[in-house]
Amino acid sequence: GILGGDALLPAPQSISILSTNMKHFLTWSPVIVQGATVRYSVEFQGEYEREYANGSWIPISECSLTTATICNLTEDISASVAYKLRVRAELGATRSQWGTTKGFFNRAMTSLTPPQLRAVADGHHLLVELADMGPSFQFRVLYWRKGQESRRYSRQGQECSPPAWHWDVPRVGGRAAHRAQAGCSECLLPAGSLRGFAALSFAG
Amino acid sequence: SGELYCSLPNPRNVHFESINMKNVLHWSAPEGTGDGVLYKVKYAVYGVGKWIRKPECRNINRTWCDLSSETSEHEEQYYASVKAFLKGACSDWMETTRFNPLTDTKIDPPMVSVSSTDRSISIVLTAPEKWKRSPEEESVSLLQVYPGIQYNVSVLNKKTKKRWFFSISNNTLVVPWLEPGTAYCVSAQIHVPTPVLDSGFSK
Amino acid sequence: GACRVSMSMREIRAGFTAIKTNIQSRDPIRTLSILSHPHSLHKVKSSDRCCITYQLFTFYVDKVFKHCRTEDLFVNRKISSIANSFLSTRRKLGQCREHNNCVCGEESTEKFKQILANYEGLNVTSAAMKSLGELDILLDWMEKSR
Repeated sequence: GILGGDALLPAPQSISILSTNMKHFLTWSPVIVQGATVRYSVEFQGEYEREYANGSWIPISECSLTTATICNLTEDISASVAYKLRVRAELGATRSQWGTTKGFFNRAMTSLTPPQLRAVADGHHLLVELADMGPSFQFRVLYWRKGQESRRYSRQGQECSPPAWHWDVPRVGGRAAHRAQAGCSECLLPAGSLRGFAALSFAG
Repeated sequence: SGELYCSLPNPRNVHFESINMKNVLHWSAPEGTGDGVLYKVKYAVYGVGKWIRKPECRNINRTWCDLSSETSEHEEQYYASVKAFLKGACSDWMETTRFNPLTDTKIDPPMVSVSSTDRSISIVLTAPEKWKRSPEEESVSLLQVYPGIQYNVSVLNKKTKKRWFFSISNNTLVVPWLEPGTAYCVSAQIHVPTPVLDSGFSK
Repeated sequence: GACRVSMSMREIRAGFTAIKTNIQSRDPIRTLSILSHPHSLHKVKSSDRCCITYQLFTFYVDKVFKHCRTEDLFVNRKISSIANSFLSTRRKLGQCREHNNCVCGEESTEKFKQILANYEGLNVTSAAMKSLGELDILLDWMEKSR
């Protein structure tokens, strides 16, 4: 039944951060109270708050009194410093203890996936369409003639403004293949050794 | 002279409208006052101790005042204020928010000139100039004001209706290997990465 | 001296733009500026730029952000985002100073003294809120001189 009297509400468990392509989410396991809807509130603390603002915590309004067990942190984790996150359960006037992430999270630890890539032939032009991954990203596109892996051409772009850009990649005659990498200026990996190849073979 | 009573409703929505740093103060007439309302305008450089009246905008009945000359130093920030008068009554001074010419202006599209051979197009882009007091005054390109300017260029194949986008930092672009006898439509936009400012696309 | 540091200027700009009107409306004093008068940042010699940038980032981290807490949750979140970005960038600038690439000339020392005098001329909260409202003056100067 509903929590009676001063019965304690357990703190959320299995708190973790999922970070892919500089999009960061906090997740936790639901607190189950039969016949009741438990809500949750999330707060964050950056290195600045710890060192200069008496360890204060800042609530995330979109994740205050939410029934979801996931919270989008991307807007708030917007500096490359160490963050801590915490979440508590709330049922009416009853509040659990805070459940806090173990260790710190720095957005440089984000994992990169290969960029979505599409190649389109248009007359004598080969257009490489890359899905927009956000402002922090740069792209490197490698392309070569089918069967001539050793002779590769490379194009690099700072960032793409519209959602999907066509890059004018001169045809290399006959069949062409492509590879694209995404890297981000705030990630742990130095720009030179990026992971996240997207391989695509295209017979033009 | 008769004592002015500031009981008149205030001018509304006092704000700067700026294009290529031509900075014009605009406002709306006080609610419910009808015709005959006159206005006075003053401005101040933020951080400097005094308000300065604009003589050319004293006792005017229009609802705008060109302050481009007074706000031409784009490394400064400004406030402007408007007061209304009608039949011996007046309103309070109504101020703008702090105006930063560098971040609060809009930018016109670049000028696009195109030449072509039978199989390629050469495009030259020219950024607009900053507003200047007179034609004789030395021109300042917005390229000098925003060193990080980039251009987004769109090339539309009118036969296939396919559109290509290019993002370039310098002001020239050659598009090779085109279809002979095909009409291409070129349009360009200015993109300033920070402070984020984008012009519209040229016609 | 030369000191190249990568910083997320776009994110700081976006954060400030989101709260600029709110913060500047809390500063009623038109006749005083912390950063731009009587001496403009734009008059600082290029050789002094690195040093004064480091001093200004330290000024904002140590003296400004902590006194800008508001009743508005959204504003507080954006201030936190800017403050943490400043902390991250100041650390990189500090590394430049250690390698002696960031020497403080007489002019920048004088300029920074003037900024502190402007700041101390007001009560703490007013001075901090005014300084935060002038962040675009600092960002404009940094972008122009990069």
